[in-house]
Amino acid sequence: MSITSARIASLTHMFSYLTNRIALFIPTLLLASMLTFGLSKLAGGDPVLDYLGSDPFGTVTDAPHLLRAENIYRRAAHKLSLDRPAFYFSFTSQAYPDTLHKILLKQRRETAEKLIAQYGNWPQIEAYLHSLRNMEIETRSLPDSLASAATPVNIPLQDLYIDYKNKTIENRLAEIGQVVFKNKKLAAFLGSPFNDLKNKYAAVISEATPGKLKIPAVRWHGTGNQYHIWISNFVKGNFGISTFDQRPVTAKLAPAIFWTLAVNISAILLAFLISVPLGVWSAARKGSRFDKTTTVGLFMLYSLPAFWIGTMLLIFFTTKEYGMPFFAGPGLGEVPSAAPWWEKLWSAMPHLFLPVICVTYPALAFITRQVRGSMVNVLGQEYIKTARAKGLSEKKVIWKHGFRNALSPIITMLASVFPAAIAGSVVIEVIFNIPGMGWLTYGAILQKDWPVVFAVMMLGSVLTVVGILVSDVLYAITDPRVRFGK
Amino acid sequence: MFFKKKQKQIAEKIESGKMANSPFSLMNQRFRRNRMAVWSLRFLYLLFFVAIFADFIANEKPVYCKLDGKVYFPVMRQYLVDLGLDHWEARFFQNDWDEHAYEAVIFPPIPYSSKTIDGKNRGYTGPFDEQKISSLRYRHWLGTDNLGHDVAAGMVSGTRTAMLVGIISMSIASFIGILLGALAGFFGDDRFRMNPFSIPIYIGALLLGWFYAFMARGYVLSEAAREGGLAKELFISFLIFGFALLLAKLATLFIGKIPALNKKVKIPLDLIIMRTVEVLNSIPGFLLLLSIVGVLQQGSIFVVMAIIGLIRWTGIARFLRAELLRIRNLEYIESARAMGFSNLRILFRHALPNALTPVLIAISFGVASSILLESALSFLGFGIGEETVTWGNLLSAARKYPGAWWLALFPGGAIFVTVTVFNLIGEGLTNALRND
Repeated sequence: MSITSARIASLTHMFSYLTNRIALFIPTLLLASMLTFGLSKLAGGDPVLDYLGSDPFGTVTDAPHLLRAENIYRRAAHKLSLDRPAFYFSFTSQAYPDTLHKILLKQRRETAEKLIAQYGNWPQIEAYLHSLRNMEIETRSLPDSLASAATPVNIPLQDLYIDYKNKTIENRLAEIGQVVFKNKKLAAFLGSPFNDLKNKYAAVISEATPGKLKIPAVRWHGTGNQYHIWISNFVKGNFGISTFDQRPVTAKLAPAIFWTLAVNISAILLAFLISVPLGVWSAARKGSRFDKTTTVGLFMLYSLPAFWIGTMLLIFFTTKEYGMPFFAGPGLGEVPSAAPWWEKLWSAMPHLFLPVICVTYPALAFITRQVRGSMVNVLGQEYIKTARAKGLSEKKVIWKHGFRNALSPIITMLASVFPAAIAGSVVIEVIFNIPGMGWLTYGAILQKDWPVVFAVMMLGSVLTVVGILVSDVLYAITDPRVRFGK
Repeated sequence: MFFKKKQKQIAEKIESGKMANSPFSLMNQRFRRNRMAVWSLRFLYLLFFVAIFADFIANEKPVYCKLDGKVYFPVMRQYLVDLGLDHWEARFFQNDWDEHAYEAVIFPPIPYSSKTIDGKNRGYTGPFDEQKISSLRYRHWLGTDNLGHDVAAGMVSGTRTAMLVGIISMSIASFIGILLGALAGFFGDDRFRMNPFSIPIYIGALLLGWFYAFMARGYVLSEAAREGGLAKELFISFLIFGFALLLAKLATLFIGKIPALNKKVKIPLDLIIMRTVEVLNSIPGFLLLLSIVGVLQQGSIFVVMAIIGLIRWTGIARFLRAELLRIRNLEYIESARAMGFSNLRILFRHALPNALTPVLIAISFGVASSILLESALSFLGFGIGEETVTWGNLLSAARKYPGAWWLALFPGGAIFVTVTVFNLIGEGLTNALRND
């Protein structure tokens, strides 16, 4: 075989190996995005109200007010594309209309769903809900002289939007009826809308079609759905708007990513700088006291929870409580906001020292163990014996013949350590108050700022997959066996 | 009938006599030589003991007491009261437990429960600080927190939580991991054959079963969840689901009888399952756990355990798969095959029992990592509700008041020791299984 054909063969093998790995990209991101999207649907509270910050219906007093509030809500829902179906298709029973997502208010939609689940007759339920809204508008637009007489109606009327049980609904209707028909003038205004409401509800009960609930139905909604819009925006780099302070999530993430990378990159570099010589030395002196102590010590280090060490370092060495305030406390101190990144980093340096240590030592323990294992494996091979027999110096045997061959698993570790370190640094960032991704996520969960949480989760998965991919590529480059398809 | 049973017993005895050179007992012998691992195992028994008898170790109630000539076992009785089978006499909730004039009494070694509030020693009283106590018995040996909770009692309660999390989450993970790992390893890509026409039938049955069991009954289930009786309704739902699958199975049997439709194709089970493992491994577990618990708001210990179990089974599946891929080519499996045993019988009766020991390694490392995961979560204040004391949330109290070194040292130390113990056992098992 000539050299060129061997090279071509190796390239094709590598190509097929890599496409195989890239194929993993898609299902992973698909699963991560669906999990995230599903979570966003599970989150309690009304996302539109979260986005608006205040409840526009909370201050409604009259009919124009109500219509305005509905308008504000509708516009916000449209902006968040919540007026669309959730997914490409839906799998429900025949009783559910395919336009249920058109009921915008989350609370009312849930009531409608529960009514359908009991009676299965959407047209009647729709008419009932419509009549309910009509009744509210009529109540809100009464002349001032009658408004005070009608106030007892308001509470049961609002409750009807949430009630779905027959008994409670009938009680509320009776309650409203009593107030309406006690006052003749009021009856003149509200009598007919109330009777309409009552009749519509009676129709829901009498014309129930529970049989429809037993027939499954699959409906296709096309690409104009919430998930599709969300994921295509994500791919374009638009992660949505924070519900906490209305800023774009991207703008909040960018500085956070900087600090997370600053901590993690320095920690991992440090870990590699220490652990590679340490691992090689202890493998070269396998069985010696040095090897035994490092092995036990690293094992202990590996089991030490970083958030414990972080807390201990924080309370013993940053407070005056124990007379040892050697390091700067939590937070980053005064960081010049407009300065270039190296100046920011320089000014925050004293604050980053302890967190970097806390991220470094677990990685250090892990990498050293791997390096030692890989080196022990290589040093047991025949060709090392040959090298020694040739009379090469021990240094040359270990570094030139041994370490070179142990290198490929070590390089590939670089990529896999990185995502793990980022996930692990969530707690460290919270302890030391470093405004990185973990700290941001923690705060966002407390503030119920879901767009930020979901963006971080998606980014975390992307980073992990990229890390695995990079390690695969490095592996393919350093290990000829992969290249030659063996 | 009687003789058959006896025969079986004898057969078992003979078999157990042979056990001395079974792979398991060989491994056991090698494990025993590793003193660190053996001591870890002994320490683990101690942790189990504390977790199981937590109520008898740290409790404000006496274990035994005699009051006005009547004998009580208050700690035991609390179990009955919790189950609704008993109730306390008025004087037991009018007075505190240390106020009665007992004729005879035995208090637990730590006379506080994790929820007891000692009003006299609130505001972070340290172990060496002066404590306002009536006798040495009531000393807070590990200090108190802001409200006056005894830290030692909290540590005991935290042991129970940690053990529970480790064991239950790993049981879930083992169930999934062993099932999928066994399928992937034993059948590989070439040995699982299926009628292609039965695949759509099963998929359809899954969807319809899901529809009739859970979606059409969604309202009933959600009402049951609100008003009680969920267990019964869930049972009915699962029955319906099972029935749908049974129908599908019958349908495939019927299809198998039709010669024109009776074909078999290979299903690459190994590929499918291992791809799933890789996909699941690429999702950052801690972030996922944090988001789920954050979204669900009313987190409970069981939700946390379930999620940890659902994301941490991949290690177990990989271990088992690797072992079974080796075992399935051994001669005794071949001969079982030659004798015409069914695949499932070979898998469960012959292959799996010999492959399970290495899984112990994955499980013991898994317990360590799930304890660590849960304590990190409760350290951040998520997951487990306020009322459950865990090592993690004890430790987080130290952040609020740096002067309370005992709140940082003891719970964190407990996490460290427990995690180390499980890791050492895992190490010991790994070395014991290596044949050198």
